[in-house]
Amino acid sequence: MLARSPSRGLAALALVAAVVGFAAAAWIWSEGGGAVDVPWSPSLDARLHFRLDGLAALYSLIATGVGAAVVLYSWRYLPLHLSHQDRPGRDQVRFYALLLLFMVSMVGLATAQDLLLVFVFWDLTAVASYFLIAYDRHEGESRWAALMALLVTGITGALLLIAALVLHAELGTFSLPEIFARARPGSTLTVASALIAVAAFAKSAQVPFHFWLPRAMSAPTPVSAYLHSAAMVAAGVLLIGRAYPLLERSAPVLDAMVAVGFASMLVGGVLALTRDRLKQILAYSTFAQYGYVVFMYGLGSATGAVGAGLYVLAHALAKSALFLTAGSVTEATGGEQRLSELGGLARRLPVLAAASAAAAAAVAALPLTLGFFADELFFKAALERGWPFAAMAVAGAALTFAYLGRLWGGVFLGPPSAAQLRPLPWQMVAPIAALALLLVAGGVVVAPFEDLAEAAGASSLGAPAKGGAAYHLDARPENLMALSSYGLGTLALLYAAASDRVLRALATAGARFGPERLYGEGLAFLNRLSDRVHELEVRDLRSRVAAVLVPAGGLVALALVAGPRSGGYRVGSLTGDDVALALVLAFSMLIALATTIPRNHVTLFLALSALGFALAVAYAFFGGPDVALVAVLVETLFALLFLGVFSLLPSEVLRREAALSTRGSRRWRDPLVGVLSGAVVFVLVWSTLSVPARGRAVGEEHVRLASDAHAKDAVTAILADFRALDTLVEVSVVAVGLAGVVSLLRRGRLW
Amino acid sequence: MSTALTQMVARLLLAPILLVALAVLVKGYASVGDGFAAGVIAALGILLQYLAFGREEVERLLPVRLIPAAGFAGLVGALALAAWPLLRGEPLFTHLPRAGSEVTKLGTLELTSAIAFDLTVFVLVLGAAVGIVHAIARESEEGET
Repeated sequence: MLARSPSRGLAALALVAAVVGFAAAAWIWSEGGGAVDVPWSPSLDARLHFRLDGLAALYSLIATGVGAAVVLYSWRYLPLHLSHQDRPGRDQVRFYALLLLFMVSMVGLATAQDLLLVFVFWDLTAVASYFLIAYDRHEGESRWAALMALLVTGITGALLLIAALVLHAELGTFSLPEIFARARPGSTLTVASALIAVAAFAKSAQVPFHFWLPRAMSAPTPVSAYLHSAAMVAAGVLLIGRAYPLLERSAPVLDAMVAVGFASMLVGGVLALTRDRLKQILAYSTFAQYGYVVFMYGLGSATGAVGAGLYVLAHALAKSALFLTAGSVTEATGGEQRLSELGGLARRLPVLAAASAAAAAAVAALPLTLGFFADELFFKAALERGWPFAAMAVAGAALTFAYLGRLWGGVFLGPPSAAQLRPLPWQMVAPIAALALLLVAGGVVVAPFEDLAEAAGASSLGAPAKGGAAYHLDARPENLMALSSYGLGTLALLYAAASDRVLRALATAGARFGPERLYGEGLAFLNRLSDRVHELEVRDLRSRVAAVLVPAGGLVALALVAGPRSGGYRVGSLTGDDVALALVLAFSMLIALATTIPRNHVTLFLALSALGFALAVAYAFFGGPDVALVAVLVETLFALLFLGVFSLLPSEVLRREAALSTRGSRRWRDPLVGVLSGAVVFVLVWSTLSVPARGRAVGEEHVRLASDAHAKDAVTAILADFRALDTLVEVSVVAVGLAGVVSLLRRGRLW
Repeated sequence: MSTALTQMVARLLLAPILLVALAVLVKGYASVGDGFAAGVIAALGILLQYLAFGREEVERLLPVRLIPAAGFAGLVGALALAAWPLLRGEPLFTHLPRAGSEVTKLGTLELTSAIAFDLTVFVLVLGAAVGIVHAIARESEEGET
């Protein structure tokens, strides 16, 4: 009891945070929305611009509202989950912290009005979801799934950044309203729209990126309920809604959205009929449902945009309730997740059965639930476009009806399973009941929900939009389509039960030859490549140095050969004043040559040190006392540190390394690398010094400005003022170096 | 290796070395020197103590365990100094007082926020160098035992 009390406080804290977030979003929205606009990087026209418009309100309310339900559910689920795995209660901290981080980034993503900002929050959701999916980090499967989700959504997320940069190059701004105002149809627009659409498809787990979502089900149930119904996956369609003014201007992108959405409906629907684990069925169902939304946006009509908003809302509520139901059922039956082993729970868990029935009915679009209206708009939008689209819509809805019937019926109907049931705490039923009540309320009075969806549609379309969802007791096409989807769905359910083997074979073929295989092979290839490069580069220290010098030298040489050569290579003259400097430099040169002779590490290092001191003398002659002072000091310190480090190395290692260079091909390779890279640097320095005019002007300007910076010494003014940012970065490197050296020597500890 | 003579010299030199470091730090704005150089000089002085007395003795004599922590505090200070003009809507590292305005003087030292930045660099460099020296010293002792 004592151990549990702090975690209870945590859950309460997270719940309060979510509820406050929800209340704040609702209040600001009821006051007519609000905006924050702070300049971020004016020269790039990137702004910290957040606005709670209709779309943002819809997704923020979903993220915080469903988030609150999920936190309430986790209150008891998480301690149980952890105790099943013998994990300490303090692991909860991580869970709630990540969940809240996710919530914040989702709200940020929903409200962001700047493409760069959208990208930042987009990646933040991916990072938070990575850690949440891998919450059971001791399980390899969870880690693999988390990495897959991160890679699939992260790599495609880079496409979003590319789109932002492409648009910025063309239009000179990252601000979304500005982009919408300035963008003209053309290839740039099409490319950028396509990139954004691909990023959105991957996030919403649309075909062919769908494979990461079922894998991600290895996350704890509340995570699945939140990320994979209401938030992470919804981010993709949120982006589509946000960038809709761009996407709608390129017909190919819209057509692609229709195709991808329909493919997702089909693939998800058919595969959901074949799965046995509850969360797997829901995962396939989820991307099929988001297929609806992508499909509706792809139709390119006002009804589609409003319908998409209403659908997202209904689906987020219903699907999170179903995920939570799956978790509760599994908990009550002592860990059973397989549909084939479950059954007949309706009598024994009546509240759960009723609540999940409402949720399943909402997804299957039965009347008296919010889902019916969502599907009504779906059918209406499809019908507006033409009968082939209407047929697609009915096919998708029929599949949905079929697998939800299979899921709910399989769990709650049929012969009861004999197993003893564990009692469920109220926190694991109440959130589901609350979500179900909302869905039923929406099925009776649709107006508040539809208002929100219409506002979301309006911010996508840039013009007021009407949905017009209502019950019509007549034979209008939408009603006929709904009825036929129920009928076809029942047939599909019967057929699926009869021809289980055909469907399973289809699923196996998909798993074996589908895009997941491509992902696996791509990952294996990258691993092999990385191993190969690693082997090549870090076999020993000399290879590593060569791996830096040879490509760098090659690139610089290329630049010298291909680049513009103004001024060329001049040979200056030597006056009497330069004699001392020339002598010092000649001496340095001799020492540099001498460093190639010793084999003993300490001697070698002392020779290098001597070279450093000789160069310090050269700086002093050249009129750079500050530089000379620092050079002397750093050389001294490094000489001493190196000797200290050498004392740590076993003497046989040093001896073995010293003998390396005399063997085999290295005998010629190392000198060759050294000479060639040295020659390139020589030519580079020569060509740079041949055009000194500009460098000198900058220096004189700095000297002139030093008094403005209240400094008499120009060098210090440069370091602490003019180029203070450089100094800051350099000293940060010093701090990182300290952390690195100490943790290396202390084997991972910092002190 | 360490004799009474080296110990005496090391002890005698510590105060002058730290004084020189301080001088290089505060004189930086008038002539040669800056926080970085001063930090290295001070670190060399402490390194000398390690060579003469060994780690345990130095730990007893000087707060060497605190110095690296102070270094990280210096980094935080430097970042804060860099960022706080942003709160006033000005670019990073807008030092005060501005060009041409009056400066408070402490002797001949002009007090500007650039000096404060230099001070954080000094603490950071000193902390990093002492931290590395300390880690090496501790590790080499453990290797011997």
